[in-house]
Amino acid sequence: MKQPKTLFLVAIALLPLVLVSCISSGASVPRGWAGTVVHDGIIYAGTRDGRVVAINSSTQSQQWDYAFTSTAIYTTPIVDGDLVYVGTYSGQVYALTIARGIERWVYPRTGSIGAIVGTPVVANETIYVSSSDGRVYALDTIYGDLKWKSEPLAEKLWTSPVIQGDTLYVSTFDGHIYALSMETGELLGWSFESEAGFASSPVIYGDTIFLGSFDRHLYAVTIGSNVSMWKFPQEKPAGNWFWASPIVNEGIVYAGCLDSKLYAIEAKTGEKLWEFDAGNPIVSSPVLMDNLLIVAAESGNVYVINPETGSSEQIQDPLSSNSNAPSINAQIRAPFCAYEGLIYIRAEDNQLYVVDIDMRAVIWKVSLTTK
Amino acid sequence: MSPGDVWYLIIGNPVLNVLVALSHILGGSFGLAIIVLTVIIRLISWPLTKRQLNSTKALQDMQPKIQELQKKYGKNQQKLQQEMMKLYKEAGVNPLGCLWPMLIQFPIWIALYQAIMRALATTPENLLDLAQRLYSWDIVSQAIPLNSHFLGLDLGSQGNLILAIIVGGTMWVQQKMTQAPAVDPRQESTSRMMLLMMPLMFGFLTLMFPSGLALYWAVSNIIGIITQYFVTGGWGYLKFRSPFQSTPVKGK
Repeated sequence: MKQPKTLFLVAIALLPLVLVSCISSGASVPRGWAGTVVHDGIIYAGTRDGRVVAINSSTQSQQWDYAFTSTAIYTTPIVDGDLVYVGTYSGQVYALTIARGIERWVYPRTGSIGAIVGTPVVANETIYVSSSDGRVYALDTIYGDLKWKSEPLAEKLWTSPVIQGDTLYVSTFDGHIYALSMETGELLGWSFESEAGFASSPVIYGDTIFLGSFDRHLYAVTIGSNVSMWKFPQEKPAGNWFWASPIVNEGIVYAGCLDSKLYAIEAKTGEKLWEFDAGNPIVSSPVLMDNLLIVAAESGNVYVINPETGSSEQIQDPLSSNSNAPSINAQIRAPFCAYEGLIYIRAEDNQLYVVDIDMRAVIWKVSLTTK
Repeated sequence: MSPGDVWYLIIGNPVLNVLVALSHILGGSFGLAIIVLTVIIRLISWPLTKRQLNSTKALQDMQPKIQELQKKYGKNQQKLQQEMMKLYKEAGVNPLGCLWPMLIQFPIWIALYQAIMRALATTPENLLDLAQRLYSWDIVSQAIPLNSHFLGLDLGSQGNLILAIIVGGTMWVQQKMTQAPAVDPRQESTSRMMLLMMPLMFGFLTLMFPSGLALYWAVSNIIGIITQYFVTGGWGYLKFRSPFQSTPVKGK
């Protein structure tokens, strides 16, 4: 009589554990969404299994790959001179040779500076890295030596810094934009504070910073001012966050939103010119090429859009027999790049897709999983 | 719509959004939000809790009669079960009634566990996923991202030993207050094991789950102790020392 009772109680106690195991916890393993960059006919991309690969665009074959130890990559590789730079989620910055992918230096040599999520920027032989420890690090591009590190700016920095003149601008999840000296990393006199946190990395056009916020607005902030120039939408908030960094061209801001829409906004006034519904959240920033706007929905659909009118055409996958199939049969979250009429997209199926804009079609793809 | 979608629509997402909204109302403190949500859940489940306490008390009061039946029909298990059920029916007591409040809380625990993991968005993927689960309330969007630190705890991390001791300790006190004294050495041994098993198990679970969920368990236990104190009128059997404690159990 007693034993079944005890077993029953054990079962009751274990039930939550079993149920929690059955239902998704909501905690996902970091996989990374590194983007692509093209340099001298070579495509550099971070993969979902923690490697950087170099692919010859003419032969569509892998030149080399470099595997990091058990980490994800969220930063898009940056090519400068004969090196390619990558920041890892395990909190290290690597410089690899572009020719053979051999490690030139790593910072820090031991330990970590905190997960690197935002893509670093390179200028004046210095690479500027924002880290999850809340600091910005400035490293020498040749030797990887630390030039300076800023004081902690926030609990964590997941956005990319942006440069204008000799100043580095950083946005934070707690709603600040900070201006730092590129020479010393010291905070300069101006900073901006918003009630809501900033979700996207900042973009500078003229003397104005554009960036998305968790309060479902896109902000325009004039450098030096303590109040925002405008917030878009002006009346009620958008349907979700402006997660991707906007792009600005000829006085128009193109901002993708997680509410599935791409908005064209007058940069000076914040007035909406047109909107395009991509049917699925827009996670990657749009790109401009040959006076055409390219935008990708998370579902895999890629669109070519007239930046003046907002009219669109969907990219087709000629390999698919289904006419309703998405442009790419995988999710798109990583930033993509445009180069000589082609778009290079690393999708969540760990494949690289190359889209010919004139043909409005995917022309080839290559797996990034194995060499 | 998959069962998972239904779960998030009905339980998962509402708990997540209430937790995030509470966090904003309470000055950005996620820990305080968990505590207030615990109090709300305990208030909602109060009718069930009261029924559980009454059932427990009634079962305790019936112990002498049950002992009598065991002596009388000890050799005829079927008859014993029948007589016991008859006794329960006459007294209007459901012997499993005390388990319902615990079972009802399981979905809440799971939803809270998921809400904590999702709301704290420890990875970039979690943060992106969170965007699709939040309601379009201003109070929710203004709360993101949440501060995971509370009273020196990182609510998203696991393995906090002090919390494990508090959860196990408070659970032991709560159980000890209600556990009727044993009538023979063999029953004493089983009772002692049961009294230790649940606190040890939850202490162990605390080490495996995020501190935010352990905070919920600890606060929930403390509220349970206070409620029990006032409903049953005192500390119950907490200070009771069994006369069989030093008696070696036959067969061991």
